[in-house]
Amino acid sequence: MSTGEAKPKLIRVEDLLQRTVYDVDHRAHIIVDPEKCARCPKKPCTYLCPASCYVLVDDRVVFSYEGCLECGTCRVICPMEAITWNFPVSGKGVQYRFA
Amino acid sequence: METKFDVVVVGAGPAGASAAYTAARHGLKVLLVERGRGAGSKQVFGGRVYAAPLREIYEDFDKEAPIHRWVRKERVSLVHGDRMVTFEYESDRTVSFTTYLTQLTSWMVEKAVSAGAIFVDEVRVDSIVRDDAGKVIGVESGGERVYADIVVDAEGVNRLLLEKLGLAEKTRPSQVALGVKEVVKVGEDKINERFGVAPGEGVSWVLTGDVTGNMPGGAFIYTNKDTVSIGVVVYLESAVNMVKEPIHILVEKLRTHPSLSRLWADGDVMEYAARLTPESGYRYMPRKLATHGLMVAGDAAGLLLNTGYTFRGVDYAALSGYMAGNAAVKALEEGDTGEENLRRLYEKPLLESFIVRDLKRHRGIEWLMSNPEFFKKYPALATGVACRLFDLEGEAPTVYEALRSSASDQGLSLLRLVLDMFRVVRKL
Amino acid sequence: MALRVIVGIKWVPNTQAVRFDPKTGTLIREGVPSIVNPHDLDAVELALQLKERYGAKVTAISMAPPSAVKGLEHVIGMGVDDAILISDRVFAGSDTLATSYVIAQTLKRIGDFNLALFGQETIDSSTAHIPAQVAGWLELPYIYYVDRIEDLDLEQNVVTVRRILEDRLEWYKLKMPAILGVAMKSQKPRPVSIYNKLRVRMENPIKVWSNKELGLDPRCLGLKGSPTLVTKVTWTPEVPRKKQVIEGPPGEAVKKLVEKLCGEGVLPFEC
Repeated sequence: MSTGEAKPKLIRVEDLLQRTVYDVDHRAHIIVDPEKCARCPKKPCTYLCPASCYVLVDDRVVFSYEGCLECGTCRVICPMEAITWNFPVSGKGVQYRFA
Repeated sequence: METKFDVVVVGAGPAGASAAYTAARHGLKVLLVERGRGAGSKQVFGGRVYAAPLREIYEDFDKEAPIHRWVRKERVSLVHGDRMVTFEYESDRTVSFTTYLTQLTSWMVEKAVSAGAIFVDEVRVDSIVRDDAGKVIGVESGGERVYADIVVDAEGVNRLLLEKLGLAEKTRPSQVALGVKEVVKVGEDKINERFGVAPGEGVSWVLTGDVTGNMPGGAFIYTNKDTVSIGVVVYLESAVNMVKEPIHILVEKLRTHPSLSRLWADGDVMEYAARLTPESGYRYMPRKLATHGLMVAGDAAGLLLNTGYTFRGVDYAALSGYMAGNAAVKALEEGDTGEENLRRLYEKPLLESFIVRDLKRHRGIEWLMSNPEFFKKYPALATGVACRLFDLEGEAPTVYEALRSSASDQGLSLLRLVLDMFRVVRKL
Repeated sequence: MALRVIVGIKWVPNTQAVRFDPKTGTLIREGVPSIVNPHDLDAVELALQLKERYGAKVTAISMAPPSAVKGLEHVIGMGVDDAILISDRVFAGSDTLATSYVIAQTLKRIGDFNLALFGQETIDSSTAHIPAQVAGWLELPYIYYVDRIEDLDLEQNVVTVRRILEDRLEWYKLKMPAILGVAMKSQKPRPVSIYNKLRVRMENPIKVWSNKELGLDPRCLGLKGSPTLVTKVTWTPEVPRKKQVIEGPPGEAVKKLVEKLCGEGVLPFEC
C-alpha cells in the first residue's frame, strides 16, 4: 500500500468471538453424535461454522457450543445428520447488539 | 392456568412484530413470543432496509424509526486481488436506509406492545400444536401449552417448527446462503469523510469476485451512523465443496483488504455475527403459506430477494407479517380460520403482491449460482480489462484489444463472453 | 406456618462483554448488557426446590436502578412468586456495607421470612460480603458455600444444610430465620417457562420500594453510608512466560509436558 500504513492483522476467531456478547447456558443446545461424525469423510462443519465450534483434533471433530452464533449452518450442511440442533432456552446464548 | 389468545405470533423479528402490531391495532388479543432476551437480541441482517413497505405498516415510521443513514450511493464492485472495477449510482432520496436490525426490531416490538400486544421474551416455542382434526390450536414451550385461534409462524430461516409440523422439509444446502458479518467502529465524521457522504447519508456496496474466495456469493459494506457493517455471503451448496479455509477468514480478509481497509482504518471490531438467509426465488417457499389456524411469514416463508446488486429481506418480512396480521383480523371477523379461508385471505394476496412477483422475475442469481465459474472469471476479466486500459506503462491498447487479451487470460472466447453477457443482462 | 424464602438478586454488567481498549487502557462499556448475577441463579434454583418440596413462597429482592426489572422478570419467569425492586437515588454509590444495610432493613420489613438465600459472590465485584453482612446486621446465623438443603423442620424451626468445601463436605443445623450463601455452580438453574413469563405481564408481581417505604437514615445510605475508599486501581503484573509449544498427538504431548513441568519442579507431587 502506498500510504505506508501498517497492514492490519487478521483477528483469530477466538478473539472475534470475544467481540460478541453471550450468556452461556449450562445446557448445550446442540448435540453431536460422535460415532456418525467420525464416519464423515468431509467434515464441512470444520470450515463452514463461522464460530469454529467444530475443530479438527487428530482427525476427530471436537465440538463446543459456547461460541455458537445460532446461524444453523451446521444443521444444514452436516452430511451425516449427526447434529441435533435447537436454539438455547431461557434467552441464553448469543446476545447481538449491533447486528 | 390456561390462557387463550386470538393470535399467537412465534418469533419477534420484523415479520412477527409487524404481524403482532397489525393484529393488536385492530383490537385482537395478541401474544408475541420471542426466544431471545428482550427484543432484537437474535437479529442479524446485512445492513440495508427499503422504507416504503415500513411506511405503509407503521404510521410513525419516518418520525420514530431508528434510521442510521439514508443510502445515497449504491456501489457494485468486481474484485480480483487488490484491483476492482466499481459501478456507482448516486441520488438524493430516502428510499432505503442503514441501521442495526437489533434496533429496528426493538422499535417494531415497542410499537406492537404499545398497540396492546403482550410480548413475552426468553421463551423458546418447541412446537406448534394441532388438534386431532389437524387444526392448529396453539403453541407448546417446555411442556406448557398456550392456545390461540390463529398462530403466525415467523420463526425465521431455521424452520424447526414447520419441519416438525411436516409443512416444510429439512433445509438443504441448495436452499440457503450463509452470511458472516463484522461491525467495525469508525466514527461518524470519518465515515462522512472517507466515503464522501454528508451527515445522515450513507453507502450501500455489494462486491463480488475473490472476496468470497471465488465461491458463488458476494460481499457487502454498509455505512451506519458511526460504524460500518462488512460481511460475506456464500451459497452453501457450492461452499460445501469449494471452501478451503475457515469462513471467518473471508470476512477478516475483507476487513484487511488492501484496497478497502483504509475506509475503516484503526476501526475496532464491535461485533461478529452470522446467519443463514433463504435462497432467493421460490426455492425456500413452503408448499403452502397457510393451513387451518396457521400462517407463515418472513424468512420462514422464504421471502428474500437477491438480485445480485441488492438484497431485500426485512421489508418483505415486515410486509408479509402485516398481511398475516390483517388476514387474522378478517378471518376472525368472518369466524373462519380454515385453511381455504386463510389461504384466500393471506397466501393469495401475498402471491399476487410485488414481493412474489419480484421473486418470480429475478431468477438470474439462481442461474449464476449454477455457474460458479462466473464468480471467478468475470471479476478477473473486468479488472484485467481495466488494468490494461488504465495502468499504462507503454503502448495503450484499444478497448477491444484489452477485452480480448483479458478474456483469453480467463480462457473465455469472445463468443462465450457475448453470450454470457446477454444471459446476465436478460436474467438479472 | 408456610415457609417464606427470600432470594437476593444483583443486576450486573455481563463481564464477558467488557473489553479493554488497548489504546487508552480503559473499559469499553458501549452496549454491554446487564444480566442477573449468574451465581444468584444458583440461589434462585435452590429456593425453587424448596418451593417444590415444602410449598415455600419465594420472593426475590434486588437493590438496583429501574432497569433491573428485566432481571426480576427473568427469575419470576423461572418460578419465583414475586419480587421487590429496592430503587432510589439515595442508594446510588453504595458500597457493600451500605448495600447490606438496606437489604437487611428490607428483610426486616418483610418480616416473616425463614430463609434468605444469596449467591456466594457476584461476577462484577466478587467480594462475597453481602450475605455475611446482612446476617451481621440482623444478628442471624449464616453459612456459606451451601449446596444442598438436607432437611427443614418447621416445627422446630431448624434447617439442616450441607456445605461444600474444596476438600470436604460439612453439615450444619441452623435456627431459622437464617442467611445462606449458595455455592457457585452448585445448581443447574431451570429455564424460564411461558406461563411464569405470562404471569409477569398479566399479574404485576414486581413491587418497587423507594426509601419512602423503608424510611432509612440517609446518613447510612449511598455514598454517605459507604466508608469504602478506592485509593488506587492496579493491574495484575505481567508474568514472564516461556511460551513453549509442544507439538504432536495429545497423548505424547501431554507426557512431554508433564516431564518438562517435573524438570522445572513446579508440580505438587513427586514425579
